[in-house]
Amino acid sequence: MKSWKIGVIGLVVVLLFGLFAVAEEPVTITLLHAMKPTHQEPLLKLISDFMAEYPYITVEPEYGGYYGDVEQKVMASVVAGNPPTVAQLYENVITPLIEVLVPIGTALPEEERADILDGLAAAATVNGIMYSVPFNKSIMVLYYRKDLIDTPPTTWEEFRDLAAALTVDTDGDGNIDRWGTIIRADGNPELFLNYLTQAGGTILNEDWSEVTINNEAGLQAMEYAVSLAPYAIVDNAYESDFLKADQVCMYVSTSGGAKYNYLAAESIGVELGVALAPAGPVNNRTMIQGANFAVFDRGQTEAQKEAGILFCRFMLRPENTAYWAIEGNYLPVTKSGYEDPAWEEHVANDPGKQVMSEAMLNGFGPLNHPNYSDMRLVFRTMFEEAMLLEATPQEALDYAAMQLEDLLEY
Amino acid sequence: MASRQAALGKNNPRRFSYRFTLYTLLFAGCAIMLLPFFWMVTTSFKTELEVMKMPPQWIPKDWQWENYVKAWNVAPFGRYFFNSFFISITTTIGEVITTILAAYAFAKMRFFGKNVLFAILLGTLMIPGQMLLIPNYVTIYRLGWLDKYQALIIPWLASVFGIFLLRQFFRSIPDELRDAARIDGCSQFRFLWRVVVPLSKPAIVTVALLKFLGSWNAFLWVLIMTTSKELRTVPVGLSMFSTEMGTVYEQLMAASVLAIIPVLILFFFTQKQFIQGVARTGIK
Repeated sequence: MKSWKIGVIGLVVVLLFGLFAVAEEPVTITLLHAMKPTHQEPLLKLISDFMAEYPYITVEPEYGGYYGDVEQKVMASVVAGNPPTVAQLYENVITPLIEVLVPIGTALPEEERADILDGLAAAATVNGIMYSVPFNKSIMVLYYRKDLIDTPPTTWEEFRDLAAALTVDTDGDGNIDRWGTIIRADGNPELFLNYLTQAGGTILNEDWSEVTINNEAGLQAMEYAVSLAPYAIVDNAYESDFLKADQVCMYVSTSGGAKYNYLAAESIGVELGVALAPAGPVNNRTMIQGANFAVFDRGQTEAQKEAGILFCRFMLRPENTAYWAIEGNYLPVTKSGYEDPAWEEHVANDPGKQVMSEAMLNGFGPLNHPNYSDMRLVFRTMFEEAMLLEATPQEALDYAAMQLEDLLEY
Repeated sequence: MASRQAALGKNNPRRFSYRFTLYTLLFAGCAIMLLPFFWMVTTSFKTELEVMKMPPQWIPKDWQWENYVKAWNVAPFGRYFFNSFFISITTTIGEVITTILAAYAFAKMRFFGKNVLFAILLGTLMIPGQMLLIPNYVTIYRLGWLDKYQALIIPWLASVFGIFLLRQFFRSIPDELRDAARIDGCSQFRFLWRVVVPLSKPAIVTVALLKFLGSWNAFLWVLIMTTSKELRTVPVGLSMFSTEMGTVYEQLMAASVLAIIPVLILFFFTQKQFIQGVARTGIK
């Protein structure tokens, strides 16, 4: 009797040891990213913290160049059969890759999935499944000169009236020297997408079978944008360039460019304020921009996939998304990230960041249609033609809709 | 005759105004060409705020020499420069050799399908490089050359453009020279290296210089085919100064100044032959 008990205990010990050995087997994963040196330090710190917590996992980060270069490398490596374990990609680039990706949403506990900001969760979801998690995100807000504007506008109409009042000929030569605002129609067509959403419109319908950009809401958005044309610089240079030339008073732009906007204001001796974007007929939501992390299924062992998922979950933790946002000049991607003590302390003395936080919680993500990159080219042309008054709002929208029809299929 | 000589005399007002106009235009053209370089160098010594100023501040108030130190430390530029030199020199030498051999064959030798083969080679010039990126990546991966020097050197040891350029130049060398050499017992190979190559120095220097520049500036291929910092090159390092939110111009300009110094030195020593090569081969 005694001997069989010893045998059972021994067997259990061996099994437990075996399980432990399998669980702790060293695994190396690759992380292909587009972060430049200014962001690599905090990224490497997070990676180091992750590896300290999971000593059997080694993360090998690889700088992949610009986002477009990362995308090309991913495409090439998927065809070759050796994609990285985790890659930093835009949502629309992720959509055509879902067959080679781990459906990470199914691996996230419910509370972690629900913690991701709604707008970002929607953008990361294809056919009801989340295939990536947000990483480095920024939101569009209103920057305004405090020396010229006491109270920032809160509605479309207020913005237009203020822009009109601020468009002036400062030296009396009959030419406008300073405009109310700037619209980077070709460089930042997301401005139009803001207006579209604020008017309650969408680019496509829910199942992507129909183009809706040129419906009533779209027309309302475009007509409003065009009504700003007399009081706006329509150019593709950065807004900060015109700010430092004292040629513009307020504009909607990304929170990620705050540093350059503040520097530009400082160079002409003015203070820049930050406010929520003016509200349209339906809301004042603006677009969230940035990239996600996706874990590849192809060419990875089970251990590598699990490690990749663990890494993504680690980056979503409130303290980590807050740290990344603070050090990288981004914004947290989870609701709990905004309640993290480090983030709360970071924004406590920065009203601009508080506004950005509020805007982010209410923001919307980009369309993750696989042809979104091509659609964006259509938006750029459409928006610029309308803003330069080369086409009426309806003409510009209808022509764009016609081109978008050709891009529905993928 | 005497009046003509008087008209062309040194103190002639017409001659003076002609030369004055000519040199003014040349000076203006030179200034326009040099202006970006001037901007690059002076910006490399500015502060962040000075870079942003409008109207532009041409000369920095306090010269920020530490921009060069900061730029150097952004990435392992020491290693990047070594790789750029190593890859550029080896591919240049390799391409010059293969190009000379191929161009001579197409220019002076007769073999079956020569013209068809040459047409096919020229046809490959019309294929955009982007289309070949994925198939090339798969090829490099299957050869086991990913993240190795082989991927950065071997595919670039031949150039259709270089073959075309040298072929055109070799065709201008009289066949009578070859016939005379053959009569004296000279083989094709000896004729090539002893007669053709010395006569073609300007064109060969042109090919070599263009190749060096191309290799030195290669970005996407290096980025896609390598993963480790140890194999990356200067252009990859330069890309690190531009972020999605803006560019660190003063450091980028500092790194750019460092990056073009080797190319400037190379051009300084080969400009005579390069200009001769451009003139004789008719390329821009």
